[in-house]
Amino acid sequence: MNIYLRLVYRNLRANLDRASLFFELIFPLFFIFVQGFGLNGIVPPFEIGNGRVISYSLFLAAGAVTLTVINGGTNAGTQLWFDRKNGMFEQILMGPFTRAQYILSIIFATLIIGVAGSLLVFLFAFPVLGASFNPSLPGVLTIAAALFLGTVFFGAFAIALSVALKSSETFQIVSTFAFFIFLFTSSVFFPATSAPSAIQVASLANPLTYTTDIFRAGLFDAMTPTVSLELGILALEAVVMFAIAVIAFHRIRV
Amino acid sequence: MGVNQLSRLYGDKPAVDRVSFDVERSEVFGFLGPNGAGKTTTIKMLTTLLQPSSGGANVLGFDLKTEGRKIRERIGVVQQQDSFDQGLNVETSLDIYGLIWNVPRTERKTRIEEVIARFGMEEFRKMPTVDLSAGQRRRVQVAREFIHDMDLLFLDEPTVGLDPIVRRALLDYLKERVHNGLTIFFTTHILEEAEYLCDRIAVINQGRIVQIDTPENLKRRFGSARAVEFKLLQGSSEALASALSSSADVTRLVQDSGTGAYRVTTTRPESVIPEIYRLAEQHAVTVSSIYIAETTLEDAFIHMVTDDENGRETEREA
Repeated sequence: MNIYLRLVYRNLRANLDRASLFFELIFPLFFIFVQGFGLNGIVPPFEIGNGRVISYSLFLAAGAVTLTVINGGTNAGTQLWFDRKNGMFEQILMGPFTRAQYILSIIFATLIIGVAGSLLVFLFAFPVLGASFNPSLPGVLTIAAALFLGTVFFGAFAIALSVALKSSETFQIVSTFAFFIFLFTSSVFFPATSAPSAIQVASLANPLTYTTDIFRAGLFDAMTPTVSLELGILALEAVVMFAIAVIAFHRIRV
Repeated sequence: MGVNQLSRLYGDKPAVDRVSFDVERSEVFGFLGPNGAGKTTTIKMLTTLLQPSSGGANVLGFDLKTEGRKIRERIGVVQQQDSFDQGLNVETSLDIYGLIWNVPRTERKTRIEEVIARFGMEEFRKMPTVDLSAGQRRRVQVAREFIHDMDLLFLDEPTVGLDPIVRRALLDYLKERVHNGLTIFFTTHILEEAEYLCDRIAVINQGRIVQIDTPENLKRRFGSARAVEFKLLQGSSEALASALSSSADVTRLVQDSGTGAYRVTTTRPESVIPEIYRLAEQHAVTVSSIYIAETTLEDAFIHMVTDDENGRETEREA
């Protein structure tokens, strides 16, 4: 079996807390079925681009799917943290693996969690999203790219954070706080263009904004020329964050 | 394995200072030293986890600096620190460890059954590793290393936390594996273990190797006639012990809490024995038995380390 498959399989089996995964899936569903329908009556439908007008519940459902990307990303930091805490980090590096293979295996495991989680939430949210889903090959590819790049960014971010912080408690607190900032300065809950100017500026640097916007564009066939630009910015942010994570990872003292 | 002038600095302080030694195939090579002597740092370098600051080594025919991956494919390591997979039970943990080492499924199954039997893990094979006692977890950690093939095994204090029966079973298992061609690099603080298992021993102190020899030779060279054991009819006497400890010829005096026997480490047993009788008379106690004890590796070890530290002190003063 390929070396990456072996390590990814181990990461998925050994370091994932099933209860946390369950709640990571439940969390977005609350937004879709409670908040989305709750606010639907007072928020009129609006245009998201390319002439596509959708209801608030649809808007939020798409955002909630990308929320699993950020949750999946947190798992990358948790995997590394568990391995460091339990002595498996050194043990694996004294085995027939390189540091690069180890860190990539964490990213791959995170991609599986992030993308599979998104698909699962999408399936659960299908009663809401299904009717408006207009599948096309460019749309599906765009969605895949958004989920892939978003997961790489947030996985790498969580790895860098996990290396920088000294205790698992601090990691949990800081990552939760950081992810709330990402969440509320993005276009998950509301269109960034209608937010106050400070949030608009923050949203322009926020990769979750691009992940969500690209995902919505692919899902609702609302492709505009800005989607390509957003894809480019998200790819750049993912590459930069991945490089930061690799540098941080190589500085871990053993 | 050939190690040549290997050093590792932390800041400007050497944790390992130009150590050189060779380890033969199918040899058990002991690496003994006080806490912080540089044993674990040496292991971390030889297992490619840590880059040496200078010097080099050839491990299993591969260069330490340029062929780390090839070395890691042929070694096993039991670290001093705990290492376990949090979310798995014992059996699955062994299986997944074998899987990441690419051991075929049927082979894994056979080896798991073997180590579970050999290390007495049957009763907790289905328990999550996170719920095990420290000793049980240590057993799993050691057993896990025998799931994959290797030519050289590094054991960094592998018996910490193990009960005497499991410890002896482990040492016997190691002997068996050595007989079948395995080479072992072994650190421990339990000197009886080193004596039982090791073909040769290197003593390291403050990063430098003080001596390398067989356990027998080390005892002969550094421990001959340097321990006197005696018992008092009255059990113990604090006054006698205190007076004897302050004698110039006595390096160390300890009393065995179980048997009550006193053990004197000395460079001059011929003058210590009359001194014991003199002090016994002075403090109105009776010596019920006295003899020059067989030198243990511990006596030799303490002597070597003390000599080395005295030598360094003299160097510093000069």
